[in-house]
Amino acid sequence: MKDSDQKGYVFNIQKYTVHDGHGIRTMVFLKGCPLRCAWCSNPESQHLKPELAYDEGKCLGGSDCRRCITNCPTSRIVEVEGLLSIDCDICDPTPNCAAGCPTGALSVYGRLVTAGEVLDEVEQDGVFYARSGGGMTVSGGEAMFQPEFALALLRDARRRRINTVLETCGHCSEGALLEACGLVDGLIFDIKSMSAERHRLGTGAGNELILRNFGNVCRAFPDLPITVRTPVIPGFNDSEEDIRAIAAFLPKRARLTYELLPYHRMGQPKYRFLSRPFPMGDAKLDPSVMPRLRAVAAAR
Amino acid sequence: MSTCCLSPQEERIANTAMTDRRGRERVYTILERNQFSVPHVDIERALYFTRSMQQTEGELLTLRWAKALRHVAENITVYITPDQLLAGRVGKLGRYGILYPEIDGDFYSEVMKDLPNRAKSPFRISDADMKILVEEIAPYWEGKTYHEHLNQVLPADIRGVTYHDERGLKSKFVVSETSSYRSALQWVPDYEKVLKRGFLDLQNEAKTKLAALDMTNSRDVWDKKPFLQAMIIVCDAVMIWARRHVELARHMAAEEGDLRRKAELLRIAEICSRVPALPARNFREAMQCQWFVQMFSRIEQKASAIISNGRMDQYLFPYYEADIRSGVITRDEARELLECMWVDMAQFIDLYINPTGNEFQEGYAHWEAVTIGGQTPDGEDATNDLSYLFLESKRDFPLNYPDLAARIHSRTPERFLHEVALTVKDGSGFPKLINDEEVVPLYAIKGAPMNEALDYAVSGCTEARMPNRDTYTSGCVYINFASALEMLMHNGRMLHYGNEVIGLETGDPCAMRTWEEFYEAYKAQHLNLLRKAFQQQYVVDRLRPMHFAAPFSSVMHNLCMENMQDLHEYKIEGGVDYSYFEFLGYGTVVDSLAAIKKLVFEDGKLGMAEVVEALRANFENHRPVREMLKSAPSYGNNDPYADSIAKDIDRLTQVEARRCSEERGIHVDVRYVPITSHVPFGKVVSATPNGRLAWTALSDGSSASHGADRKGPTAVLLSNYHTKNYGMTNRASRLLNIKLSPKCVAGEEGTRKVMDMIRTWCDLKLWHLQFNIVNRETLLAAQKDPDSYRSLLVRIAGYSAYFCDLSRDLQNDIIERTEHGDM
Repeated sequence: MKDSDQKGYVFNIQKYTVHDGHGIRTMVFLKGCPLRCAWCSNPESQHLKPELAYDEGKCLGGSDCRRCITNCPTSRIVEVEGLLSIDCDICDPTPNCAAGCPTGALSVYGRLVTAGEVLDEVEQDGVFYARSGGGMTVSGGEAMFQPEFALALLRDARRRRINTVLETCGHCSEGALLEACGLVDGLIFDIKSMSAERHRLGTGAGNELILRNFGNVCRAFPDLPITVRTPVIPGFNDSEEDIRAIAAFLPKRARLTYELLPYHRMGQPKYRFLSRPFPMGDAKLDPSVMPRLRAVAAAR
Repeated sequence: MSTCCLSPQEERIANTAMTDRRGRERVYTILERNQFSVPHVDIERALYFTRSMQQTEGELLTLRWAKALRHVAENITVYITPDQLLAGRVGKLGRYGILYPEIDGDFYSEVMKDLPNRAKSPFRISDADMKILVEEIAPYWEGKTYHEHLNQVLPADIRGVTYHDERGLKSKFVVSETSSYRSALQWVPDYEKVLKRGFLDLQNEAKTKLAALDMTNSRDVWDKKPFLQAMIIVCDAVMIWARRHVELARHMAAEEGDLRRKAELLRIAEICSRVPALPARNFREAMQCQWFVQMFSRIEQKASAIISNGRMDQYLFPYYEADIRSGVITRDEARELLECMWVDMAQFIDLYINPTGNEFQEGYAHWEAVTIGGQTPDGEDATNDLSYLFLESKRDFPLNYPDLAARIHSRTPERFLHEVALTVKDGSGFPKLINDEEVVPLYAIKGAPMNEALDYAVSGCTEARMPNRDTYTSGCVYINFASALEMLMHNGRMLHYGNEVIGLETGDPCAMRTWEEFYEAYKAQHLNLLRKAFQQQYVVDRLRPMHFAAPFSSVMHNLCMENMQDLHEYKIEGGVDYSYFEFLGYGTVVDSLAAIKKLVFEDGKLGMAEVVEALRANFENHRPVREMLKSAPSYGNNDPYADSIAKDIDRLTQVEARRCSEERGIHVDVRYVPITSHVPFGKVVSATPNGRLAWTALSDGSSASHGADRKGPTAVLLSNYHTKNYGMTNRASRLLNIKLSPKCVAGEEGTRKVMDMIRTWCDLKLWHLQFNIVNRETLLAAQKDPDSYRSLLVRIAGYSAYFCDLSRDLQNDIIERTEHGDM
């Protein structure tokens, strides 16, 4: 199969991202992730397949609009006291209920697209990449959760002379990751905790594979620019010891930077849309934490 | 969106006490004495102008105007603002506006009494002055103003789309003329010529020409002789006015106890005894000369947006460089002089008596553009140390005057671009950017010599002027194309105007079976307004020379002097006439057409009857229809579905403009720059099929409809690019606003991204770009607590204004513009 025909699940393509890699970039978010981080700000990224989401804030309600109820082929949407009750998994990648929803209250996270379609959209901003040194950042979910698709994207991007950055949580096939790293111009690699046990509690998986993959990538690609990122999560890794341990683990090499990202709750509404509980509750980051931790990270 | 950081402007407001005033004590003193007071009206210019005009009836208008200016110059009170280093203002201390009764004197008695109380941009006037206005000035002008003449001669079918009352005071906001509340379009005089030659030399040129006339030639006797006499008189006028400041400064010095101020006043006297009669010899003289020229230009006429400053970093540079080199002046002293100019400029308000005129540009708007950067007439990069000094001043001194405009080209140095980006990030919206790569080739191919095209100055809001080549000065027609759309939906009628047939009766849209049929009907409505607009503008162009003359502008214009013709005459040999007309509601129209095409004709999700009914009801009880319309493809997202419609509408507009251009032998170009008029024009348009509610603002310039740009700033720029029809040349400026949150541009990395965006904008050959970097939260807070946010500046359509000076409507408009955060 041609790379451009390779299909995969994507949940968002975001233009003009300026914080994930060099220059003005377009982020391609691939759906599906092996981890279940409690703090995940993109819960819609976790499962591979498209998901139906319902934002009751946007819903016009049963008195003004009953389109979804009428449109549902299996009568799985009913009105309960002015609000919708949806008792179904998604029946179709473009279900009638979402397609007919006037406000986007019902929508679908994720669509099956070809690498060629993704890159056509990415290339629309080519004139901005040319001036800024930007390009495409492939992210997720976990980009390498769909290794064939991710690799096809990166190979086709290379043919089209699009600068690429891969963002990964590192929990993926070693072979595919190394192949991907041979195709990209930059790598963003998340390291969340040096404690396997804590890592398992926070993300549902240990950190052994992640740390091994990181070491292998560093050895195999000594010249690849790598940004290591740690999301700083209250109660999980927001102590100086946590960050110091990660910083100490990072190899001394020229093209490696270390960034801390403060926890935020911007993803919270999306949990509601997906009828999932928000695992972090009201947890907040102490505002004094970041400056201290950044100092620790900088002292590496 | 979260408020994660404040722009420097916001920080300054949050800690006013902490503002660094070192080296700026003088300008802060002047600024704070005046800047937040309600402005007053000064009637002296109007009074002396009228008294002279009463004495000269029957003479050539240019000569009458020159005599009137001399009479004003001899009699108007002269001032030196306390603490100022530059002499000269044309009204009492404080913020002030002056009157031009030749434009609107016929309705002072009706309108002036409301001036202090009007909701938008009120003005104070004393009872004694009011009496003179109503009893002496207004009666003379009744029956004589241009505006009355225009109202009389417009044929009924054109009048019907122009005015909404018998006297022509209320605009219909469909095809609006703007020529009757200003004397001329925005303008840039050739300051450089005056600096180099002085008015004595210009006057001698006129005297030599006068002596060479053939007194047996009728044209020489009847046209050229009085014209040249007018030139001689107007040079006298400006020199007399300047000389009066010498005496004033000496007198003030004699009374002054403070020795330092006394010395300053004596130096002012010395400078004013030299310029503008003689060539400037140093930076201080050059600044004073420039100031006299622009102030006297204000006395001459009400040019739109007052008067622009031209390429200040170019014509001032030789004086600056020499003075710095010889140690006559320091860089800080030069900056202080510039800022002295800005604070007095800020006090002069563009006063609109005409209620329609006031709607067009609210917030005491005036924008005396100062151009920096760009290219030399040879095509080299023109950036110099003064360009940087202007940017520094703009960053560190939070004032919305002057309207700083940076010319950008493909070889703009990185350092200049970096400082532009830093200044943009500062949050006050300056400088606006104008693209040489669009303007220069366009102006050259339309007939300007290449070296003059390369030397253009930004003028008014977003326009470009060549001070010795441009000759078109008529205020342009504003066309409300959203009303064309409304007439299509309601068979030639607008709900605001009841059953009156205003456009074409294209029939019931529900009877239209295909998109093609529907679109043809739109085009018919569109062309109908366009043709009426062109007819209207022709009448305007023909009438204006009977009412307006500009001897002072003419004496500084090469072509006027060569041809011995007033700048306001209908045609001047060798001139280029780049006229334009305003397209209002671009995004509104495009998004509405795209929504109908997609939902009604393609997907069949909505019936036309359902849409029409929802529009009539202003979407009340039709929320699902409105939401569906809103979610259709829209302009500003780099979506070919909407953009192809936008491009076609621009194309058909240009095709008609080209036909009109050929007919009239001038350039008639489409422009997308509404200033603030998209708000009043929206007030007559009922709900539109893009989901816009009745009577709310139309889309702004070539920006997307409010909130319709969902794909970020790159898509906004690309939509603009893809809809431009680069193969055609009947286009003028397109105003494009992009609002970024401070988070997007934080740090050195953020500065880099702004630079990258500007470079790409330049590559795309878009005409204009301005950034607005504030938080939505800041604007909301300013609405709630205006007193704490008095000095908050925001960008509106080509200029910056104090947010709290704006009406609630416009404040909301700014808040609603999509904020391109990056979460």
